[in-house]
Amino acid sequence: MFLAGASAISSPCLAHARIYISVEQAQKILFPGSQFTLQPILIDQALQASLKKVSGVHYPFRGEHIWRDQAGNFLVIDEVVGKHEMIRYAVGITATGTIQGIEILEYRESYGYEVAEQQWRQQFVGKTAHDPLKLNRDIQNISGATLSSKHITDGVKRVMYFYQVALKGAN
Amino acid sequence: MVVRNQLNALHPRKCLFMGLLVLSSLANAGEGLFGWIYTLDLQPKGSLEFEQRLQLTTGQANGKYDFWYSRSELEYGLTDDIQVAAYLNAYSVNAAQNYINPEVCGDAVSCTSGYGVPDSANEFDGYGKTGLDGGSLEGIWRITNPVTEPIGIGIYLEPTLGKLKNAFESRLLAQANFIDDRLILAGNLVLENEQLKSTGETIPESLIDILLGASYRFAPKWSGGIEYRYHTDYNSYFWQNQVQTANFIGPNLHYADKNWWATLAWRYQLDGQCMGEGTAECSGGNVWDSHGKNEIIAKIGFPFS
Repeated sequence: MFLAGASAISSPCLAHARIYISVEQAQKILFPGSQFTLQPILIDQALQASLKKVSGVHYPFRGEHIWRDQAGNFLVIDEVVGKHEMIRYAVGITATGTIQGIEILEYRESYGYEVAEQQWRQQFVGKTAHDPLKLNRDIQNISGATLSSKHITDGVKRVMYFYQVALKGAN
Repeated sequence: MVVRNQLNALHPRKCLFMGLLVLSSLANAGEGLFGWIYTLDLQPKGSLEFEQRLQLTTGQANGKYDFWYSRSELEYGLTDDIQVAAYLNAYSVNAAQNYINPEVCGDAVSCTSGYGVPDSANEFDGYGKTGLDGGSLEGIWRITNPVTEPIGIGIYLEPTLGKLKNAFESRLLAQANFIDDRLILAGNLVLENEQLKSTGETIPESLIDILLGASYRFAPKWSGGIEYRYHTDYNSYFWQNQVQTANFIGPNLHYADKNWWATLAWRYQLDGQCMGEGTAECSGGNVWDSHGKNEIIAKIGFPFS
C-alpha cells in the first residue's frame, strides 16, 4: 500500500495543500529493506560556517536527523526556507557517496508543489558532492516554483558537502 | 497521514481535473509584500488572482480630509515573466475646512478644497462624494528574476482612465533578495503623466517618485518592513516646472497563507514644500492636494481559477 502510494508521488497529480511523509517512509522508498539507526552529529560553528559558505544557505543545518544502515547508506533530513514556511526533505546517499534520491517530507506552500514530482527530483539521482548541484546549471528550474527549486537544490548541495566532510569517513 | 497516498484512489481523469483545479487555486504569487512598492513576485503562467486594495489618505492642514480609494484587481500570469491585470477603481471623499492657505481661502481662516473636491463645491461648506472612478490596465515584464539573479529588474506600465484623472504610469522595478530570500530590498522609479479632472478643469501634471523599501520575513508566514517615498510633482505633462516635493516613510506588515495574503502599510508625510505656482497646495511644511499627513493602505489577495 505504501509503495503504491509512493508511486503516486511520482505522478503529476500532486495538487494538495500539504505534502507529508515520515522519515520511516522515506527510508523505505529510498532504501527498501534496509534498517536504519539514528546517528546524530554535533555541528560545530566552523562546520556550520563552511556549510553556509559552500551552499549559500543561511538557515542552520541540524545534525540530529542523520540515519545510517548496515551497508553504509545514509539518510539525511534537512530543512530549507520556503516561500512562507520551512520545506523538510530527505536525501538518500549510498555507501559510495552518490545520491540515491531525494524525498520531500513536508511542503506547505501556496504553490510550487512540482518540486515533489519524480521528474524534477530524478535530476539529483546519481550526483555526488563533486557535482555543481546548482539551479539552472545541472539542476533545471521549475518555472513558477523558482524559490522552492533553488532552496532545495542549495540544500542538497549542503547535505552532500556535509557528507563529504563529516559522514564519508564513517564508512 | 500520507497525503500523497490518497491519490491512488482517484480515477486518472478525476486526478487530472483535481490537479488542474488545485494547482491553479494554490497558485499564489504576485503577493504584495509592500504597501506601495511593487516587487517582481509575479503570477505564474496561467494563474489568476483577485486583489482588493483600499487606501485612505487622511489629514491635511486643518479640519477634515478623508480620501478613500478602492482598487479591485484581477491579475493573470501571461507567462512566468509577464503579468497583466485590470482594475476597477472607486473613491469616496469627505472634506471640510481642510485648507488654510490664503491663496485658496482668501480672507477666511480655512476652506474646503483638495483632490476630489471640485471647484464648483462651496469652499466654506463640507463636501462629500462617493462614486466609481474608472479603470486601469497593467502589464509587468520581469526581465531578471531576483531569486536566481543578484538583482531583479522589471518594467511596469499602467494606463488609467477615470473621472478624477487620466494617467499613464511607468515604473522601473528593482529588487534584491538576501538571507535565503527572506530579506527583500526593493525600489521603484515611478514616472507618471496625468490629466487631472477632479476640480472640474483639465489640468496637466506629471510626477517622478522614488520608492525604496525593505521587508524581512521574521517568522513563518509573516513579514514586516519599512518603505520610503520621495515625491515630486510638475505642472506639465512631461516633467517641466516642478511644483511639489515631499517625503513619506512608514512601516508595513504582511501575512501570507496558502490560499490568501494580506498587507497593511502606513506612511507618514515627513515634510513637503511647493515651488513656483503651486504654493496654494502647501502649508505648515507639508503638501496637500492629493496628499495627506497620513496614508494607510490595506491589500488582500485571493488566488482562484
